[in-house]
Amino acid sequence: MNKTLRNPLVYILLLLPTVLLYCLFMGMPVIQAFYYGFTDWDGLNPPTFNGIENFQEAFSDSDFWLSVLNNVYFILFSMVIQLPIIIFLALLISQIKRFKAFYKTAVFIPSILSTAVIGILWGFIYEPDSGLLNQFLGLFGVEKIYWLSDKSTAMISILITNAWQWTGFYIVLILAAILGIPKDLLEQAEIDGATNWNKSTRIIIPLIRPIIIVVMLLSIAGAMKALDIVWVMTEGGPFGTTDVMATYMIKEAFREYQYGYGNAISILIFIFTLVITGLFQWITKNKERIEY
Amino acid sequence: MKKIFSHIILMSYILVIIIPFVFVLFSSFKENNIEIVTNPWGLPSSFHFDNYVMAWKNAKIGTYFFNSLYISVVASVATLGFGAATSYALTRMKFLNLSKFFYSFILLGLVIPTGSLLVPLYKLITDLHLYNTHLALIFPYATFALPVSIYIICAFMRAIPSELEEAAMIDGLGAFGLFIKIILPISIPPLVTVFILNFLGNWNEFVMANFYLSSENLRTLPVGMVGFRDAFNTNYAQLSAGIMYSVVPVLIIYSILQEKIIEGVTAGSVKG
Repeated sequence: MNKTLRNPLVYILLLLPTVLLYCLFMGMPVIQAFYYGFTDWDGLNPPTFNGIENFQEAFSDSDFWLSVLNNVYFILFSMVIQLPIIIFLALLISQIKRFKAFYKTAVFIPSILSTAVIGILWGFIYEPDSGLLNQFLGLFGVEKIYWLSDKSTAMISILITNAWQWTGFYIVLILAAILGIPKDLLEQAEIDGATNWNKSTRIIIPLIRPIIIVVMLLSIAGAMKALDIVWVMTEGGPFGTTDVMATYMIKEAFREYQYGYGNAISILIFIFTLVITGLFQWITKNKERIEY
Repeated sequence: MKKIFSHIILMSYILVIIIPFVFVLFSSFKENNIEIVTNPWGLPSSFHFDNYVMAWKNAKIGTYFFNSLYISVVASVATLGFGAATSYALTRMKFLNLSKFFYSFILLGLVIPTGSLLVPLYKLITDLHLYNTHLALIFPYATFALPVSIYIICAFMRAIPSELEEAAMIDGLGAFGLFIKIILPISIPPLVTVFILNFLGNWNEFVMANFYLSSENLRTLPVGMVGFRDAFNTNYAQLSAGIMYSVVPVLIIYSILQEKIIEGVTAGSVKG
């Protein structure tokens, strides 16, 4: 029987399309980024090798650092503000009996929609004159706020929209982990007179620690990938205050015709992502693995 | 008592999710901006279905809609076919060391932030003369979805017991026949999940579609919507109708298949 499943021709034919696509559309761009990242190139004339000049330029480019800082804001916002809300809501849903399925289904809806469309939709909400938010705040006498065009509010407005889109996604992940905890463990605690608060903090949260770490990792990766939400809502404006690394990369490459520099930034995104996620995994020493 | 309190908190959260949609739904039936501005929270005074007609025509929503549908289906089917074939070879065929190597090689794709490939990929797309063709999206979409799809399909195929295969081999089926006649039919549940997830991902993709296509006629729905907003920023009623065209199909798919979608997302995200 082993002979049939050792047919090298079939094996190669089955693997070939995937490996080809993979090498061409993922491998090649990575290699090209590493090649053009070390060149001075406007996209038209032949590229000239210029060593680490692009990277030196990036490190002394205050606009680049501003974009890095905005990626950091994405990470901090999701860790400090979003995560506690996610865990709290997941615990609430897990502890009720009625409408559990309804809540689980409803909270997930924003995460399956197009980020571009959500960006437009929230553009309505933030619209200074007729937007829902200003109209609502107006009821309390708050004066008109230019949410997306004011330097001081643009970034937080984007962070809130981003959180609105993804909170439910993470709630569902954490909820699945909570519901996977063996019932008798929790029943035992109830018999011992544990309150919901005690049950949550002493039993559930420690047990779902691995999945919380996964959620944190996914948020970091998501924060480093942030791109379309910024592009649709502000295109990095006003004056680059909402630029993230990826939007800055696009602007340098496609608008300023600095393809070499753009490729160098793309390498930096890649390296920063690896370093931050690697560092995070090292800090949390994530040895526990959960399979679903 | 405590339960009621929980429900109040959860319901408020659901409201925060739903209000923007209700606002857009109502706006899409309103007469004009004035009605939207003066009466943002209320029901439309009369239902203006012509917003939908005008958006479909003026904003070429019809063209974008079918572009999105075509690109999403072709890319998802390609991912599914190649992903299933590869997963079968990696999990069922007896080239263990080679398979281990290819499996790790493919999963490496999971750590590559695809957004960072946008600029170098643009160069490749133009070199291959794919710029401003639908293939400029289909190839990257199909490729970028492969790692996680193969991860999910492999997890399922690995667990299939080998008795069925053995019986079929005695009947004279070859390795390829086993794949088509035995393994593929058994693997339909994860394949459906993977297809839906990829379809939704492709349907919603914006950045590549925005930068790799220049002709208006080739645009996908998300890009078309953003272009529509920038051009017709003044007509909120039509823009709202346009948003409904891109949101409603996804909501319908979700309402039918929500369990499969959530299951797939939890399986795909928790790679451990």
